[in-house]
Amino acid sequence: MSENLCYHCALPNDATHKYEAVILGETRQLCCPGCQAVAQAIVDNGLEDYYQFRTEPAQKSDDGILESLSALNVYDDPALQEEFVFDEGQHKQIQLTLEGITCAACGWLIEKQLSKVSGIAQVAVNVQERRALITWEPDVIKLSQILTTLKRIGYVGSPFHPDEHEASYKREQKSFIKKLGLAGIMTMQVMMLMAGLYFDWFGAIEQETRQYFYWVALTLTTPVVLYSGSAFYLGALKAISAKTVNMDVPVTLAVFGTYFAGLRSTLLEQGEVYFESICMFIFLLLLSRFLEHRSRHRAAQISANMMQYIPVSAAKIEGDGSIVQILAKQLAPNDVVLVKPGETIPVDGIVLDGTAAVDESMLTGEFNPVSKSASHVVYGGTVNQDGTLTVKVTQSLKHALVNQIVRLQASAMASKPKAAQIADNFSRYFVFSVLLISALTYSYWSFVGSEDAFWITISVLVATCPCALGLATPSALTCAMAKLNRQGILLKRADALEQLNDIDTIALDKTGTLTEGKFSLQQRWFAKGVDPVQVMALTTLLESRSEHPIARAFDNDNVKSKHRTLPNTMNGFTVTPGGGISGEIDNVVFTMGSAVFCNLSTTSKVDIPANVFLCADGVLMAAFCVNDSLRQDALATLTALNEHQLVVLSGDTQKNVDALTASLPINLAKGGLSPEQKYSQVHTLQKQGRKVMMMGDGINDAPVLASADVAVAVGNATDVAKTAADVILLGDSLLSVPTLFSVAKQAKRKIQQNIAWSVGYNIIILPFAVSGLLSPWMAVVGMSLSSIIVVTNSTRLLSK
Amino acid sequence: MSIIYVLIPIAIIIVALALVIFFWAVKTNQFEDLDRQGYSILFDDDLSGDEKKLAEQRKQLQQRKETDDRD
Repeated sequence: MSENLCYHCALPNDATHKYEAVILGETRQLCCPGCQAVAQAIVDNGLEDYYQFRTEPAQKSDDGILESLSALNVYDDPALQEEFVFDEGQHKQIQLTLEGITCAACGWLIEKQLSKVSGIAQVAVNVQERRALITWEPDVIKLSQILTTLKRIGYVGSPFHPDEHEASYKREQKSFIKKLGLAGIMTMQVMMLMAGLYFDWFGAIEQETRQYFYWVALTLTTPVVLYSGSAFYLGALKAISAKTVNMDVPVTLAVFGTYFAGLRSTLLEQGEVYFESICMFIFLLLLSRFLEHRSRHRAAQISANMMQYIPVSAAKIEGDGSIVQILAKQLAPNDVVLVKPGETIPVDGIVLDGTAAVDESMLTGEFNPVSKSASHVVYGGTVNQDGTLTVKVTQSLKHALVNQIVRLQASAMASKPKAAQIADNFSRYFVFSVLLISALTYSYWSFVGSEDAFWITISVLVATCPCALGLATPSALTCAMAKLNRQGILLKRADALEQLNDIDTIALDKTGTLTEGKFSLQQRWFAKGVDPVQVMALTTLLESRSEHPIARAFDNDNVKSKHRTLPNTMNGFTVTPGGGISGEIDNVVFTMGSAVFCNLSTTSKVDIPANVFLCADGVLMAAFCVNDSLRQDALATLTALNEHQLVVLSGDTQKNVDALTASLPINLAKGGLSPEQKYSQVHTLQKQGRKVMMMGDGINDAPVLASADVAVAVGNATDVAKTAADVILLGDSLLSVPTLFSVAKQAKRKIQQNIAWSVGYNIIILPFAVSGLLSPWMAVVGMSLSSIIVVTNSTRLLSK
Repeated sequence: MSIIYVLIPIAIIIVALALVIFFWAVKTNQFEDLDRQGYSILFDDDLSGDEKKLAEQRKQLQQRKETDDRD
């Protein structure tokens, strides 16, 4: 098996080529020159240990890894650095997000590799967050060199700006850990003292010692009540001032009631104290809050890491028509930039040329793309979905970027788990009934004249506290997310896991999802009297403006270097999604795309199975056969998913789709769909009551991804698709999808078990508490056990 | 039993110390990445070249022994 898989990234090897490297004393087979270069760099630097200790294979390296290195020079610009780099005396510091981290050994590899480079003062890699903090001496080494070093060993670092939300999340996280730690340590101490008193069955402990223990316990409990529990009191205050109640209200009542009663008993040297109960109560409640906070923090972090995809550079068109990649920050009003399909518009501006549908949903919340053409205003941060636009800048980035981040963040943050919201509503009614039952209990027992009325009421408050219920969903979701994360599946929304269980239809994109998504030029055909070199140069120029995967087949063709005398100016460039592209060069209108798009009635004179045609003013000049192959694991994946209805929705011709899906267990295959038609296909399915999961990777999938119940972006998806998706597959394997389903199923079962247990427990315990059979310490122990059972049950997800 | 009047305050002082250390650890980001540091011990970074070679040989010996055992 190891012979057929790449030693570096564990993807299948190319049978026709051989890439080898000597790793750990043996010759290993690698899949591509990219992996070979990376593996060789790791070995040459004496970091082979990485291969010994990694727990996950590395991410496949970019084939063009070494060519794209020069593009990093843009990061040396002081203008960019101003934004991301902090001055630390004579050192500079930057936070990078890292793509390609798969396991803890990656962190080691990066730290080792970078610490060998002279000029780097400090490297700290955070594997969980996939980020690194790097401090370097600007006199010795440049930032681009650091990024180059990273790229050589297979990681892509991008400057990154932790935003407001995340910073506040982090502060909260830290305060949670502190409160939790304090409560935990103190609970142990108080418990130790009180356990001694519990087991004083023969009354051997003198009254004086007992009193001393109470004072010590009081001293230890006070910081827990005042500091650790403060979050609940603030929550309760907020709720009451908003004229509503939440779970914090009975918690606050129970904590303060028990604490002051204990204080009174200690001072008066008579009565009962339940300090250990308070400590444990606060500790367990905090634990459940902490877990919930963490699962949300994690989702926020993933979304924040995605923010690196906001382009920091823009394609500026100079006066002579040449295109220069510069920083968006350097753009000044009246500069002209080119925005390709799928790219984010760098700054606010006015369209000079071209038409495109622009996704402004992050701005307006309206999902429908807005059509933009000359003289329309476009906004920084919105995403150009299809056409190519030439935009005149009206505002510098300084203002726009801030807005952009805020906008994107706001839309990313609006994803509190749905189940938790249901629990919120549920808890309001729950709290009302708890308060009512407690009040009734108190009045009844006082009326009867029982001395224990107070303690019985406290028991009711503690026993009914749905601590376990609060833990039920977040603990299961956190464990499931952690498990998926380990397998290279990122969840942007935790509640997507719950929705996955209702999915009965899976819609798939063809290109890039079922297939490799890499096109290569298989065959060519030229009309008589046409200069092939000139034609190839033309196609390169035309396709250079397109982001469609087919365009790359023409780009790789190295005609570019041979032919530099091309006109640089092209007017009226348009992209017709699912059709082709057209542009005017030297007053000749070139169209390139499908036969239908090029208005060809007959293609019989073309003697190859062509699918891309080039026409000049409507006359056929050349035809190409551009092909894409099926992913190796496509069949296995679809077979595993066949209890769902499988639908292929493709922009490719019906003929191609049928040819490809003939060998696959597909229920329905539709070709020739425009993005709108894909969207309406899914919409129709949803109207029929079906729950649809959409898998896609391309720009043309963005609308359909956003509308599907659950959207999955397959590895190497475009920025637009990743933005629209709920789940992102990091690896290149489609087999993650069946895993995703099975984990979702497990998680759902856990949540149901947890809820059934915690609600059942509360209902059973209530009569005992109300009738006074339960003393407060028993209520706390019961509640704790119940919570522990729930958490343990959830963690079983991790091991399976 | 009067010893507890001395021991318990000492215990409280130790707990307070532990808490101070814990708060310091949180403040200095010691709890930021719990995945990574656990692996650090596995890498033979601190060994010199010769020692590393020796460790390597031992590892291979061990592996050979294990495969022999399996057969």
